[in-house]
Amino acid sequence: MAVTTLRAPARDTRSRGRPAGRGRRRETKAALIMLAPLLILLGIFVIWPLLHAVYISFYTWSFYEAPVFVGLENYLTVLTDQEFVDSVVRGLAFTAMVVPAQVAVAFLFANLVKSVSRKTAAVLKVTIYIPAVISEVIAAIVFSLIYAYRGGILNWFLGLLGREDTAWLGETSTALPAVAVPAIWIGMGVASLIMLAGLLDIPEAYYECASLDGAGPWTKMFKITLPLMKNIILFLLVTGFAASLQFLVLPLIMTQGGPVDSTTLPNLFIFRHFTNDLYIGYSIAAALLLFAVLGAVSALIFRLVRSEKAVDG
Amino acid sequence: MTRLLGWILRYGIAALFVVAAVFPLAWMAVAGFKAKTEVVATPFQFFPEVWRWDNYTQLLADESFLRSLGVTFAGAVLFAALSLTVNALGAYAFARLDFAFKRILWVVVITTMFIPGIAIMLTSFVVVTQLGMLDTLAVLVIPGAASGMQVFFLRQYYLGVPVALEEAAQLDGAGPWRIFTRIFVPLSKGAFVVVGATSFLAFWNAYVWPVLTITDPELFQVQQYLATFRSDRASEMGLLMAGSTLAALPVIVLFLIFQRQIIAGVRITGLK
Repeated sequence: MAVTTLRAPARDTRSRGRPAGRGRRRETKAALIMLAPLLILLGIFVIWPLLHAVYISFYTWSFYEAPVFVGLENYLTVLTDQEFVDSVVRGLAFTAMVVPAQVAVAFLFANLVKSVSRKTAAVLKVTIYIPAVISEVIAAIVFSLIYAYRGGILNWFLGLLGREDTAWLGETSTALPAVAVPAIWIGMGVASLIMLAGLLDIPEAYYECASLDGAGPWTKMFKITLPLMKNIILFLLVTGFAASLQFLVLPLIMTQGGPVDSTTLPNLFIFRHFTNDLYIGYSIAAALLLFAVLGAVSALIFRLVRSEKAVDG
Repeated sequence: MTRLLGWILRYGIAALFVVAAVFPLAWMAVAGFKAKTEVVATPFQFFPEVWRWDNYTQLLADESFLRSLGVTFAGAVLFAALSLTVNALGAYAFARLDFAFKRILWVVVITTMFIPGIAIMLTSFVVVTQLGMLDTLAVLVIPGAASGMQVFFLRQYYLGVPVALEEAAQLDGAGPWRIFTRIFVPLSKGAFVVVGATSFLAFWNAYVWPVLTITDPELFQVQQYLATFRSDRASEMGLLMAGSTLAALPVIVLFLIFQRQIIAGVRITGLK
C-alpha cells in the first residue's frame, strides 16, 4: 500500500548536512544496533521461510523422509490439477463479487459523507469502520446464524416478501455469494475511508467553477469526480483483488469449503493440503505460484502509485 | 420540495449504512441475552422474551474462557509493544542514519510487505518447530513482530519531522540514540497509536497461526476458543453469541478510544 506522510509538526526538506568521518562511523554503529532486531526477525521468520519454500517446491519433501529433487514436477502437477485450477477460478468469481461491491459501497459512502452535516459525517466515519476491527471468526459465526435455514433472519425477512426458505450455506449456487457478504462487510470500512480521503482532496473550486458554467450534478460527477478519482479507484480495485483472493477463515468456518467444494477458495485449498498431505512440496508450489503473481501485481501498483506521487510533488 | 426529498434520501442512505455496519453486531450482543432455542427462531424477534444474563454470567465465571481472554490480551499487548520497538527503531535508522548497504537493506525490508502469509506459512511452521517454540506464547508474539509495512509507515512519518530539531541537539553533542528517544519518540504519539492499535487488532483477531502452533488449551487464543466452541457445542447459540460479544468488545472499545488517530491512519495508508 502506498503511504503518504502523516502530518508532522512542519515540513522540511529531506536533505541535510552529513557529518563526515567519525560522525558517520558512529552512525553506522548505531544504525546496525537499531536495525538488528528488525533484520534478524525478518530474516528468521520471513526471508528464510520464503527461500526455504522456494527450495522445497523443487523437491518431494515431508517431515519424515529425506527430500528428493524433482525439478519442476510439483509445479506441473499443480498447474494440471483440476481441483487447484477450479479453486483459482472460484477465487476469481469470489473476487468479482466482493471487489466491485466494496468499491461501489465506498464510492457511495464517500459522496454521502461529503453531502451531510459535519456531525453526521463524523458518526458515519466511525460506524463504517467498526466491522473492520471484527475478526473473521466472529463475522463467520454471526453471518452463519443470519443465514440459518430455519429461523434465520434472512429467511424470515425474505419470507415477509413471500420467498421460500433457502439453505444459503447448504446449496452450491448460494454458498459462495453468502460467504462474499461478510467479506464485503469486513472490508468496506477501509475502502470507504480511503475513497473519502481521495474525494475530499479534490479542490472545492473545481466544483464551484463548474457550477458557474451551469454544470449539473451528473456532469460534475462524470467530468470532475470520476476522472480525478481514477487512481484511487484503481488502487482499491487492485488491493481489494489481492486481499479478497486471500480469504481463508470465512469459508473455513462457515462452510469448510463445502458444499461440494463450492466455497473452497485458493487459500483454503492450499491450507487443507498443508494440514493433510504428507508431501508438502505440492502445496508449497501451489502457494508460491499463486502468490508470485499476486505479489508482483501489488508490488507493481505500489511502484506506480509512488512514482506518480513523486511526479506530483 | 426537491431539497426536502434530497435531504430524506441522503439521511435515509446514511441510516442504511449505519444499519448495515452495526446490525449484525447489535443482533449478536442482544442474542447473547436469549435462551438457546430463541436465537434462531421463527418468527424473528430482535429482542428476547426475557432478558437473561445467564449466558454472560456463565461465561464470565468460566475459567477457560477467561483464561483465553487474558492470554490473548497479554499476548496482544506484548506483541504491540515488541512490534513498535522493533519497527520504530528500524524506521528511524532508515529515515535518518547513514550506513553501509542502506539501499539494498531497504529494498529487502520493503519486499517483505508483498510476501503473502500463506506462501511462507508452512516453512515458518518448520522454523518455529525447530526452534522449539510450539505451544508457547513466544510463537504467537515473536514471528510476526517485524513488519515491513509498519517500518514503511513509520519511516514515512519520520521523514516529515523537521531536521532543524535534531540539528540543535546534534550541536549539543547528542548521538542517534539520544535524538531518537528524546526527539522522535515524543513526536510519534499519533503514529505509535496507529501502529500499536493495528498490531493489537491483528493479534487479537488471529486464528490460523494459533490453530497451527497452539494445541495447549491453557494457551488457547480467544478466536480459537470461539471456533472450537462453535464446532463442539453448536446448539448453545445464546452462549456462543454472548462469547462472540465478549470477544469483540475489547477491540471495539479500543477502536472507539483511538478512533480519531486510527481513521486518520487509514487515510494515510491509502494514497492521497
